[in-house]
Amino acid sequence: MNWQRVWAMIRKDVIEFTKSKYVMSAIIGMPLLFAIIFPLTAIMPIAKIDPAEFESADFGQFINNLFSKAVSNWSSLDPQAQTLVMLAYSMFIVVLMLPIIIPAVTASETVVGEKERKTMEAVLASPMSESEIVLSKIISSFLPSVIGTLIAAIGYIVITDIIVYPFIGQLLFPDLISMVLVFIFSPMVSIISVELMIMISTRVTSVRDAYQLGSLIVLPLIMLVVAEMFGLLFQSTITMIAGIAILAVIIFILFKITANIFDRERALVKMV
Amino acid sequence: MLAVETHQLTKDYETKDTFLRAVNNLNLKIEEAEIYSLLGPNGAGKTTSVRLLTGLLRPSEGGASVLGLDIVKNAQEIRGKVGLLTETPAIYERLTVRQNLEFIARLYNVPKKDIRHRIEEIIDLFDISEKIDLPAGSLSKGMKQKLAIARAMLHDPPVIFLDEPTASLAPESAKIVRDQILKLAKTEKRTFFICTHNLFEAERLSSRIGIINHGSLIAQGTPSELRELKKDETTTLFRFDQWSKEIKDYFETNKLEIVEMDTERKIISVIIPKIEQDTPGIIKELIHQNHSIVEVKHEFPTLEKIYLELVESESVPRENHEEEES
Ligand SMILES: Nc1ncnc2c1ncn2[C@@H]1O[C@H](COP(=O)(O)OP(=O)(O)OP(=O)(O)O)[C@@H](O)[C@H]1O
Ligand SMILES: [Mg+2]
Repeated sequence: MNWQRVWAMIRKDVIEFTKSKYVMSAIIGMPLLFAIIFPLTAIMPIAKIDPAEFESADFGQFINNLFSKAVSNWSSLDPQAQTLVMLAYSMFIVVLMLPIIIPAVTASETVVGEKERKTMEAVLASPMSESEIVLSKIISSFLPSVIGTLIAAIGYIVITDIIVYPFIGQLLFPDLISMVLVFIFSPMVSIISVELMIMISTRVTSVRDAYQLGSLIVLPLIMLVVAEMFGLLFQSTITMIAGIAILAVIIFILFKITANIFDRERALVKMV
Repeated sequence: MLAVETHQLTKDYETKDTFLRAVNNLNLKIEEAEIYSLLGPNGAGKTTSVRLLTGLLRPSEGGASVLGLDIVKNAQEIRGKVGLLTETPAIYERLTVRQNLEFIARLYNVPKKDIRHRIEEIIDLFDISEKIDLPAGSLSKGMKQKLAIARAMLHDPPVIFLDEPTASLAPESAKIVRDQILKLAKTEKRTFFICTHNLFEAERLSSRIGIINHGSLIAQGTPSELRELKKDETTTLFRFDQWSKEIKDYFETNKLEIVEMDTERKIISVIIPKIEQDTPGIIKELIHQNHSIVEVKHEFPTLEKIYLELVESESVPRENHEEEES
């Protein structure tokens, strides 16, 4: 692996991303939108309800167990506060769809885009090896997704805390769960999403086809994020470590597969 | 060591239910410091040949080596050692001219400390210095092409493949490019493999020319060797002070083939089979018959004529005719 070449490609891709309105809106616009819209439309209305009118509710054993581990004073909270906590976590999952969605834009832009604009041949003619091309494309598609996720997570956390704080008397976020999600699981799931998108991108010839196929992989990945969230709420260290290990293995296997199916001749000849 | 050597190099493109032979048993030997031009009609297999030789495509049959390296086994090493101007310029339009060149310099492992200097040197050579910090997308078509040529030569490769280098260039730019090619071949012993449709350029530039049609090499040689192929088609033009019917009669009775006759311009153009030997006698005889000759000149067949005749005589209909589409 020649890192100078890998870095050269990543630098080039990042410069190109910054010049693409489309990619920039996926990295900055969409995350900001997510961070603002979900707290304001899903959480805020509940907070606005007059506590006197809030019907008491029994969430059942399962929910109580789940959240009493996540929030120390869960059992002493009134039903409205409990509802807010539940919503705050649920909406956080929605925000964490971003690391899955953004790669659909960045990976297809950098792989299919190069094919469409016919610049791929210069890359294929260079001394870059197949794995160097694939690795650099994975990293450059992944970086924007990390940035986008951070923007969204920070925005969401700040706004949600402001809304929820008066009800629970402490900061809900950032807690261990949200940090592990943002800094460990989302990046890993994002890499998987990137790898799948790149696999698709090397095989299709138009950005549109890439999006269509890409939408198929989003759902299973979202289920993965939901599963993680539950796993984390139970705070079982074993499950968490096992989860990380499984994701790492998937990432590695997908890289090998992608680098293997990436074929110079095919990438060139099936360009049109 | 030969710069390029191919033996029975063959490439089939697979299409839906059949395949298309784009390059057919190509045998080439190109010396170092040669400027070799591959001429051929559209769809003849020029670009495919270049792609095979630069490790972009795998041969279906046969093989080749570039700088002694096998195009299949050592493809990656070859890619690092050759320069390639692709048929479409493959310029990153959103990047500036400098960023485009920096990217390529890094891909080819040009030492960090040399990159800046080398970029300035090469854009100066191709006269695009004032555009260096503009987005490449804002360049004119010809300037993009010059940038692409500069890029192919940036890492100073010993063998350079240029696929239609001057097709979109204005005459003065084309001359800059030709001069660079000649200079690099002569002073730096760089080898050039050029695909072109420009016969004038091929003739001026090349040490040797190969003519390819339907994937097969149909003729090869130095420009003058190729002209020799149709030496018997050299015509001799006579221009007279005054026209008379006897002039025509003279050539006819001597069984010389008349190619062109224009009584108004008072010219006649004929083919003299033993041209060197017989021309003086014919002149003498015409003078003797009291025709005053103003001008006599031999007109050698142009490379264009030779090329067209070779290509047309080859164009017999074949079984597999998909090539005709392009
Ligand atoms: N990707 C491809 N898939 C299938 N057939 C192809 C492909 N590329 C080229 N061909 C076919 O191979 C033949 C040779 O094409 P090639 O591009 O090598 O010709 P060329 O000599 O470079 O032509 P031109 O002067 O038009 O550039 C043509 O018949 C072409 O249709
Ligand atoms: Mg071509």
